[in-house]
Amino acid sequence: MDRVLDTPAGSKVLLLGNEAIARGALEAGVAVATTYPGTPASEIGDALARVAKDAGIYFEYSTNEMVAAEFAMGAAASGVRAMVSMKHVGLNVAADALMTFAYTGTRGGFVLVTADDPSCHSSQNEQDNRYYALLGGIPLLEPSNPQECYEMTKEAFEISERLELPVIVRTTTRISHVRGPVTVDRIVEGVKKKEFVKDPARFVTVPAVARVRHKVLLDRLREAEELSEESTLNRTERLGTGGSVGIITSSAAFNYAMDAAVELGLSADILKLGFSHPAPKNKISQFVRDHERIVIVEELEPILENTVRAIAQHSSLQAKVIGKADDAFPRLHEFDQAIVARGLRAALSMASEAVEETPTELQELPERPPVLCAGCPHSATYFAVNKATNKKALFASDIGCYTLGMSPPYSAADFLVCMGSSVGSAGGLAKVNDKPVIAFIGDSTFFHAGIPGLINAVHNGHRFLLMILDNRTTAMTGHQPHPGSDKGPTCCDITAVSIENVVKGCGVKWLKVVDPYDVKTTVEAVKEALEQPEVSVIIARRECALIAARDAKGAITKKHYIDQEACKKCRTCVDKFQCPAISSIDKVQTIDEALCAGCGVCAQVCPYKAIKEVE
Amino acid sequence: MVDIYLVGVGGQGIITASRIIGDAAILSGRNVLLSETHGMAQRGGSVVCTARIGDVHSPLIPDGRADVILSFELLETLRALPRASMKTLVVSSTERIVPLSVSTKKLRYPSIEEITAHVERAAKSFLPIDAAKIAAESGVPMSSNIVMVGALAGTGMTGLQKGEFEKAIEMSIPRKLPENKTAFARGYEITDRAL
Ligand SMILES: Cc1ncc(C[n+]2csc(CCOP(=O)(O)OP(=O)(O)O)c2C)c(N)n1
Ligand code: SF4
Repeated sequence: MDRVLDTPAGSKVLLLGNEAIARGALEAGVAVATTYPGTPASEIGDALARVAKDAGIYFEYSTNEMVAAEFAMGAAASGVRAMVSMKHVGLNVAADALMTFAYTGTRGGFVLVTADDPSCHSSQNEQDNRYYALLGGIPLLEPSNPQECYEMTKEAFEISERLELPVIVRTTTRISHVRGPVTVDRIVEGVKKKEFVKDPARFVTVPAVARVRHKVLLDRLREAEELSEESTLNRTERLGTGGSVGIITSSAAFNYAMDAAVELGLSADILKLGFSHPAPKNKISQFVRDHERIVIVEELEPILENTVRAIAQHSSLQAKVIGKADDAFPRLHEFDQAIVARGLRAALSMASEAVEETPTELQELPERPPVLCAGCPHSATYFAVNKATNKKALFASDIGCYTLGMSPPYSAADFLVCMGSSVGSAGGLAKVNDKPVIAFIGDSTFFHAGIPGLINAVHNGHRFLLMILDNRTTAMTGHQPHPGSDKGPTCCDITAVSIENVVKGCGVKWLKVVDPYDVKTTVEAVKEALEQPEVSVIIARRECALIAARDAKGAITKKHYIDQEACKKCRTCVDKFQCPAISSIDKVQTIDEALCAGCGVCAQVCPYKAIKEVE
Repeated sequence: MVDIYLVGVGGQGIITASRIIGDAAILSGRNVLLSETHGMAQRGGSVVCTARIGDVHSPLIPDGRADVILSFELLETLRALPRASMKTLVVSSTERIVPLSVSTKKLRYPSIEEITAHVERAAKSFLPIDAAKIAAESGVPMSSNIVMVGALAGTGMTGLQKGEFEKAIEMSIPRKLPENKTAFARGYEITDRAL
């Protein structure tokens, strides 16, 4: 029984926000769903991958977000319902397609889900993707909890078809990764096949078409605004007896505002905007008119705030609008109830809370950041690279589990901005620096955004070593398949694309494939690669330790222990190598046999052969 | 309203534990919100989940407001203490997973005596549980998390019935159900008897 697919109509079930989106799409009769994984959006695709076959829909993990979006656009332009989901930065990749798809519009409902990550829990930035709705002229829905994730996804398809426009559903980490009760309805089988009716004057956006379609988009947005005015997704809640204070809010901030207002014992009206772009101007203007003080509570950018200020100015309203411009709320990081309570106090000139003494001074605790797993092939690769280069190289890194190598002892990352940036930036680093340059990229990331950079390096004659860390999976986001994978979830009938062939096809002359568990060979390959006069490529291939086959004892090759008599206490295994199974307490190094993945790399790391196989 | 703050280390089954609490709450007709740590932090890092049973909007638990801290690892128990007040019950597995920073930065993992002293100063009471041993004795060494769910249920603090938890376990645990139910029951007995 899968709770996303098999929960019967009318029942209440505990769903993750992302699962609720998947269920909403199934009930809306989605025919095609695509994604490229990324926290905090991944479970939307993972849930659909699990059920696609039984639900009779088409699902795929696409090569990147751009392709995922374009695939869904092709289907939706033909007239079926399609959904594409991604993390916030994924929309940067897909934006080129989306901005113009708003001009052509769609025939079947087209819903793009973006999951933002205020506080960068698992991301390289905390950009606010509501701007994309403003930038593209795209209707925007913002759920606040799993029930709304489910309802708004369904509603998004309706709005999209009614306006013939793409619709964005925007969540954040605290919506996508919240589990709560969802009362579901019936799953509807949607239309799966359609004949694309040719209409180049609409769908082929040459300049003459684009100019006309831009006007169509603006007209549709006016209609969208009417829908937004009438929509029950934009509603007022009254706390206490209401009164002169009005709060305007959306998304996760709504939840904190509700709880904080109750905590403070406020009497206020709360205007919750679920359909926030185009904003319901009349509704907002009336709400502002009805209150003396308006507080805007929103995470990240002051988008609602600027909208409300513009409406108030345009309608010559007197009410005082208080928000980020008054420093009542931060523009940084995610909110919580305490931050919003503090902001409301400041905005409403209430006395600030008495600060309670913390009962005990905690000593500084040893921190526990995420680390590469025991047996992780990336760890072996980094050890070998440091050994080969004596740490005298520059490292252009990329995004994935392997980014964890930025910390000591490997310190194997000097520059990183986005997926694929390793390959492009390595060229620039190499051009203006004398040190050798090594770019690290994961296999999934290589397919996603690394290939154009490699072609550029060959074509323009850049000199660096590209190491493709091929662990056969997209590990960081939950082990989804990628174009190099030969096995995937039941949904997907996939063919593996060979990384070697791609590299050779790009024109690379020097290519070697190594097993990073073989440290000596990897060290030699790195040394040789760095002597090449042009770009060289090493594919370090070894399955991720979390999905690798293990023997009865749980070892990938053989479990190991440290022979204390042979150990010279040099600490190489903890200072130059890193493994969660190896600890050093009071100068004694030991391997926790339960944690040991049995990769055997530490035995090659130890200069005194003190690390031995468990019999 | 009951606020449960779950902490531990990535890979200890904390999300599964919180989901069981959530399912049990729904089975009893209560409202519930869980927040979870996914993604990068799960690679052996500190993990936090929250479970709020009752009618609230925010999934996060403010400082000093946890009714129960359910910890799967001793060092993480200490890290969770800012959420505690003198009304908080701390139920913690005695498992110690030494973080790499102890080896690489030559830091010290606090002793059980120090940990106990800190917790007792910051919270109402402290119930340490050898969850790993109980799980192993129940025939499911990987199910310390189920022992801890049992221990939570046994405190009676959630307002949920034992049977609701058992049903929720059936919904989430596909393998070795009888053994897992034993693990749950043994966890339950310990706190039920202690309180
Ligand atoms: C544009 C964009 N999409 C998605 C992500 C999320 N993401 C982070 S790392 C990663 C892929 C990791 O896979 P791989 O390169 O194979 O490295 P591994 O984690 O397996 O070591 C993804 C999809 C992102 N950061 N940016
Ligand atoms: S999940 Fe796989 S790739 Fe990621 S750190 Fe662990 S072993 Fe390495």
